[in-house]
Amino acid sequence: MDRKTFAGFTVTSVFIMFALMVFPLVTTIYLSFNRILLRDVGIAEWIGFGNYTEVLSDPDFWAAFRLTILYVAVVVPVQIILGFAVANLLDRVVRGRGLYMAALLLPFIVTPVVGTLLVRDLFDRGGLLAWLWELATDEAFVITGSNIKWVLISHGVWATAPFAVITFFAGMQTLPGERVEAAEMDGAGFWAKQRFVVIPHLKSLLIFVLLISIMDAYRVFDSSFVFGQSVGQAANTLMVYNFDVAFNAQLGRVGKGNAIAVITVIGMFIVLIPFLIKSYREQIAER
Amino acid sequence: MAEVTLDKITKVYPNGFQAVTDLSLELKDGEFLVLVGPSGCGKSTALRMIAGLEQITNGDLMLGGQRVNETAPKDRDIAMVFQNYALYPQMTVAENIGFPLRLRKMSKADRRIKVEEAAEVLELTEQLDKLPANLSGGQRQRVAMGRAIVRQPSLFLMDEPLSNLDAKLRVQMRADIAGIQRDLGVTTFYVTHDQVEAMTMGDRVAVIKDGLLQQVASPESLYDNPDNVFVAAFIGSPSMNLYEAQVSEGNGQLVVQLGDQTLGLDNRALDIRPALRNYLDRPVVVGIRPEDMEDAAVATDHPADHRLTATVAVREALGAETLMHFGLSATQVESGDPDALDELGDDEASRCTARFSPQSRAKPGDEIQINVDTIKMHFFDPSTHEAIRS
Repeated sequence: MDRKTFAGFTVTSVFIMFALMVFPLVTTIYLSFNRILLRDVGIAEWIGFGNYTEVLSDPDFWAAFRLTILYVAVVVPVQIILGFAVANLLDRVVRGRGLYMAALLLPFIVTPVVGTLLVRDLFDRGGLLAWLWELATDEAFVITGSNIKWVLISHGVWATAPFAVITFFAGMQTLPGERVEAAEMDGAGFWAKQRFVVIPHLKSLLIFVLLISIMDAYRVFDSSFVFGQSVGQAANTLMVYNFDVAFNAQLGRVGKGNAIAVITVIGMFIVLIPFLIKSYREQIAER
Repeated sequence: MAEVTLDKITKVYPNGFQAVTDLSLELKDGEFLVLVGPSGCGKSTALRMIAGLEQITNGDLMLGGQRVNETAPKDRDIAMVFQNYALYPQMTVAENIGFPLRLRKMSKADRRIKVEEAAEVLELTEQLDKLPANLSGGQRQRVAMGRAIVRQPSLFLMDEPLSNLDAKLRVQMRADIAGIQRDLGVTTFYVTHDQVEAMTMGDRVAVIKDGLLQQVASPESLYDNPDNVFVAAFIGSPSMNLYEAQVSEGNGQLVVQLGDQTLGLDNRALDIRPALRNYLDRPVVVGIRPEDMEDAAVATDHPADHRLTATVAVREALGAETLMHFGLSATQVESGDPDALDELGDDEASRCTARFSPQSRAKPGDEIQINVDTIKMHFFDPSTHEAIRS
C-alpha cells in the first residue's frame, strides 16, 4: 500500500486521536510548567520545572508513590493467581454455574464507592473480618494509618479478581477437551496439565489481564478516596494525592497537579514499554 | 506389550443412557483389533473406557492380567491417537513427540534420540522444528502417531484417526498405520465407523451396534459368514442386497421365491447350511452380495434357472467394474444401520445393486438377465435376523 492510500485510510482516526488524546496531553504538559491556583485559575505564571522539583521533593508524593507501587505489586499477581484458580474451580462446576458466576460478578457490578463501603464494613467494629481478627488475636481490629494499605489491597483483590475469573473462565471454555485428555494419556498430572495445556492456551488472555490490571491498579482512586475519609493522608494513592493537590478548595494548585499527572503518565510508560515493544515486534512479524 | 481383556463391560451415563452393554472382547498380544459400527453405537465410549477417560459402570477391564478399572489414565501405559490429533499448538513437532518422555523425566539427550527415531519411521525428520500450525493434515496425523509410538506403550488406542484426512491420504495412511503397527508389534485397539478401514487394517474386526457386540472375526470370515443381517449389510460396499423370500423344494429341486420371480437354488446350499431345511416353505431373509451377480450377456455358461430378470435403473462405470442398480419386486429388509440411506423409496420395486464386469453393455432402461451365484447366497431368520447355518 502506498503512502497516499495509507494516509487516506488513517487520516480520520489520526485526527480524532489528536483531538482527544494529543491535545489534552500537550495542554497538561504546558500547564505543568506554570503556577496556577485553583481559586484564581485565570492567572498562569511560567515557572519552568518549578512544579516538578516541588513534587519530587514532597514526602507526601513519595508516600503515595510507595503505596501505589505496593498496591500494584500485590493486587496484580494475587488477582491473576486467584482469578486463575477460581476459574479452574468454576470450570469444574457442573450444576449452578450461573449462580456462582452471578455471585462472583457482584464486586464488579456494585459501584466502586458502595463496594469500598462494603469492604470497610467488613473491617469495621462488628464486621466479619474484624470479628475474625478479634477471635484470632484477642485484639480489636481498628483501621489505622499503618494497616490501611492492607485493607486497601484486600479491597483491590476483592474488586478486581472477578474480572480475571471471568476472562480466564471464558478462555477455558475454548480449550479443546481432546487436548486435555491427550495430555492425560501422555502422563500429565494436574500441574503438568495446567503448565503445558491450560496456561499456554490462556497465554494471550493472561497478558491482556496483566496489562489491564496493572493500569487499573496504578490508577486506583475510589477506595483510596473513601478510606481517606477515615484515616486521612495515609490512604493516599498517587491519584488521590494528585486530586488533593489540584482541587483542594483553599490551596488547590492546578499547575502542580498537572505536573503530578505528567510524572504519573511517565511512570506508567516505563512499566508498559516492554509490552509495547513486544506487541510492536509481533505486529511487524505478522506482516 | 500386553493382552487386553474386556469382560462384560457396561457403560451407563448419569442420564440413564446405556452406551455399551456387556461388551466382552479379548485382544491378543500384538493384535490389531478394529471396533467398527455406525455413529452413536458406543464404540468411542468403549475406547474411552479402556483409556480411562470414562468410568466403567460394570464389568472388568484387564490389561496384561491386571484389573485396571480404577487406574488413572496416565498410569495405564496406554497411548492414544485422537480424531482431531490434539497436538500442543505451542510446541514444535519434536516437543510434541517428546512430550510423554519429558513427563517421564527422560533426559533431553535421550529424548532427542527417541524423537528422531520416531520421526524417521514417520518421515517427519524435516518437520521436527515446525509448529503444528504449519503442518498439513497428514503431517499432523503423523505427529499424533509419533507421540503415541515414542514411548513404546503396552497398548495403542486410536479413535477414528483418519476421519479428518482427505480420501487419497486416508488410503495411504491406512496402509502406513497398519505397517507401523505390525513393525512395532504393539497391541492396538482401533475405532472407526468406516468398514473399509476395519476390513483393511484389522487382524480381527468387532462389529458393534447400539452398544451390543454383533460379531468378532477376521475380515474374511466376517465378510463370508456374517452372523446376522446387520453385519451382513454393514460389512461390504456396496451393501449386501437383503429381501424377504421363501425357499421351497419341488421335484428334488430347491427354489427361492423372490417377489414375483423364482430363482433356482444350488442343492448344495442345504449341505452347507443344514438348518435351512427347517425353514422350507417358511419366510426367510435372503442376502445377495453385489459381486455374486453378473450380467448374463457377459457370462453365458450359467444355469438358466439361476437368473433374475430386471430393468437397469442406473449404471455406474468405475473402470475396473460397473455397478448396476435396478428394481426388484421383492420386499427389502432393513438392516438396522442408522447411517444407511433410506433406499426404500419406490413402493413397487426394491433397490438392488450388482457389481458387473466392465464388459457389460447394459444401459438404463434395458431389461436384462442377471446370473446369481446362488451357492454364495446368505440366509437369515426373518424374526431374529440371525444367520441360518447348521
